[in-house]
Amino acid sequence: MMTCKDVSTLVSTGGLSDAPLVRRLAVRLHLAMCRHCRAFRRQVEAVARSARAAAAALEVEPLHDFESNIVERLRQ
Amino acid sequence: MSAAGPANITEATRSGRVWLGMMEDVVPLDDAYLERLRRRDPEALRSIVDGQGRRLYRAARGMGFSKSEAEDLVQDVFVTFIESIERFEGRAQVGTWLFGILHHKSQERWRTVVREELNDPVDQVFESQFDARGSWIRPPAAPDQHVGAREAADAIRDCVDGLSPLQREVFQLRQVEELSAADVSKIVGQTITHIGVLLHRARTKLRSCLEGKGWGRSR
Repeated sequence: MMTCKDVSTLVSTGGLSDAPLVRRLAVRLHLAMCRHCRAFRRQVEAVARSARAAAAALEVEPLHDFESNIVERLRQ
Repeated sequence: MSAAGPANITEATRSGRVWLGMMEDVVPLDDAYLERLRRRDPEALRSIVDGQGRRLYRAARGMGFSKSEAEDLVQDVFVTFIESIERFEGRAQVGTWLFGILHHKSQERWRTVVREELNDPVDQVFESQFDARGSWIRPPAAPDQHVGAREAADAIRDCVDGLSPLQREVFQLRQVEELSAADVSKIVGQTITHIGVLLHRARTKLRSCLEGKGWGRSR
């Protein structure tokens, strides 16, 4: 029987996708029954979404000649 | 993807078919294209810079470099890539290779090899959320009950400063660039297990920091 700590650790380390099938099924069963662990997983997913949203703003920072300047330097 | 990647960026790999790994699409990168890159063909250079440049810049900024530092760093990454392209002849992912160069260049900039402490106080923060039987003492609240993604994005910019350089880099590569644990392991030269530990610590610190800002406060 997996505990909340087991499940949240597996979710947080990102090791779920590499876990054996039996373990993944046990996690799925636990999540179906435990609203606290579902909330934890939503927190983890929300942190990732927020980080990607913050990163999207960074990607547009360089000016339009950013790529041209790199290519110019590579040709030297 | 991981099976095709280089063990590290200095490892010469067998000649063969090479792939230009984009976020969504994977563009075949054959020997003829590599030869054009070696000859510094402007069109070939332009396509690889267009495909990977802003992604590398975003990662460098996410790792804590300023705008000008990030621009310089990305230029250096491409210069090193082209200079070392003779070694890039195996079934490697260009993206993984470039991020590996970015990792080494960033360590040069910091003038140190970034290491992670064996123990981090944040491990205790996580442990303290559970009782002896592994059940929640302080259950988390679903974050969407409190704040929208845009506000959380603003908050997270402050919170990432609380991460160690390696935690920040791993979080950036795993969560923003969405690279696999195996690829990040090769890029930063840590075991896959330790990549999991670093991601866990980063997530715990960020959740804790965001909770302090009123996001997802425990019930």
